[in-house]
Amino acid sequence: MAIPIAPYAWHRNREGLGIWEGRGRVVATGVGTSPTARRWDEKPDTSMGALTIAAIRRAIEDAGITPDEIDGIVLTPESTTGVSNDPNAPAPVGWDSVFKMVDYPQAGITRGDIDWILLNMPELKNVEFKMNGPVCMSVAFTTAAEAVSRGLTKTCLVVRGWHNLAGRYYVGQGAAARDTAAGPGKYGSIWGMPACATTAMVFEEYCNKYGKSHEMMAPFIVEERRNGLMNPDGYYTQHRPEMITVDDYLSGRWIAKPANIYDNDLPIQAALAVIFTTPELAAHHKQKPVYILNHAQTRPELQGAVPALNEWERASDRMGRMLYEGAGIGPEDVSFENMYDGFTLFHQFHLEGLRFASRGEKRGYALDLYQTDISIEGPNPVSPSGGNNGNGRTRWWNHRDCILQIQGRSPSQISRKAEIGISGAHVPNYCDALVWAASAD
Amino acid sequence: MAFLISFDIDGTLEFGDPPGGITVEMVRRAQQRGFLIGSCSDRFPSAQRALWEAREIKVDFVAAKHMLPDIRSRFEATKYLHIGDRDLDQQLAEQAGFEFFWDHEGVAEPWLAWLDEHAD
Repeated sequence: MAIPIAPYAWHRNREGLGIWEGRGRVVATGVGTSPTARRWDEKPDTSMGALTIAAIRRAIEDAGITPDEIDGIVLTPESTTGVSNDPNAPAPVGWDSVFKMVDYPQAGITRGDIDWILLNMPELKNVEFKMNGPVCMSVAFTTAAEAVSRGLTKTCLVVRGWHNLAGRYYVGQGAAARDTAAGPGKYGSIWGMPACATTAMVFEEYCNKYGKSHEMMAPFIVEERRNGLMNPDGYYTQHRPEMITVDDYLSGRWIAKPANIYDNDLPIQAALAVIFTTPELAAHHKQKPVYILNHAQTRPELQGAVPALNEWERASDRMGRMLYEGAGIGPEDVSFENMYDGFTLFHQFHLEGLRFASRGEKRGYALDLYQTDISIEGPNPVSPSGGNNGNGRTRWWNHRDCILQIQGRSPSQISRKAEIGISGAHVPNYCDALVWAASAD
Repeated sequence: MAFLISFDIDGTLEFGDPPGGITVEMVRRAQQRGFLIGSCSDRFPSAQRALWEAREIKVDFVAAKHMLPDIRSRFEATKYLHIGDRDLDQQLAEQAGFEFFWDHEGVAEPWLAWLDEHAD
């Protein structure tokens, strides 16, 4: 039977809904992160599926619980935004001697699959609640939060793996992959526009409107890499422990000016699993519970084929208002923000939507904020996780770090008290975000 | 008479990610035979420098890949060569007036023959 996705009504995508009914009734405890790799070497034990299993086992161990306590899984099945195999491509030779197979031949290779996980993790014998959180792990997190708050699962795994095959990430996609181009792609991607191009256009519009420049991004880029290199689980720490300088950043090759190569995140292989449960059950978990105060969602309502500045500002403003309304807090309560950064040039839209570290400004202040102390030691920690830019492309380092910060065990722990943090992904008008807190109040 | 070789890193040199076929020993040999050597890669320049230093090779230059024209203007040479594994390497090399070898062609060290061809 096909794994369902969350009903539309679960997503908090309107203002005026009031305090979230599940506020303070769902917590995160255990976190498990797999090893990382730049690309898959086609061996079963380094596959996305194997990494996913490793992450799940680490999360269960980290929570200090037993596998039979897990009664639910929410998973993001898509494991790349880049190149994948044909869905019907057979598994490589030797695969079936390591893993049991479901009907879908690419399960565990280029697509996450709950049934494949359960078949290969017999210790998860009590899972009854199964749901997919499509496209982004943010959706898996919000879906799992709703599922726990509604009593559909008591101890739930939230899971996402990423694969990265040999070759180039976006080669053979878009216009290059089709005989004809249809849908919005016929306007946006027919000439092979790189993925960061739309972000670059909106960023250019932002700079023109507020009198900013690409050079002003440099402190943020440097700080993110610094934070990422503190993370022993990050790709760069494990494989390329290279610190970037302002000069390095400014020397980058334009991919779609004003987006350069270092504004683009590096695709990797990795997996993350997190344990969600109730505050009552978390009492016997090893890790401090991190409360979810609210979640919210934006989806595109575009006037054209590509987003414009006013649309991204409107969407991220609305995200900020929805998050604060449902959590019963305001911008002044937020200790740190871990909004999405891959591409780096849209991070400031998220940040401004939250009014993070605003001194009354509404828009056009983030790049000025970047020129101040945004380090983890400072008063306004921006992206303390280091995000995709500091750790490799996953879209979940930011969520993971919100949990670890509030538990007081982040490798890039902020100096100020981490009481409330916000994470969300991905682009400003297609975003699912959560408010994480040290207490339910 | 000087010859200049620019190496791409990832997919070209043995310490790239992914590793390529050009070994550190080949680079050393070229340098010992008098070639000006360095790297032009999408790895940022300080990281390129660190990679060479870790192998105790003192290169003549490091630069972002699209800065090949700048390298050409900085060094006087009889021939300029870039070795890489991507169409982009070839495109940028040709635009900058460099000869180009694919990574798999480079493993035969064809540049060494230039020494004989240009011997007095």
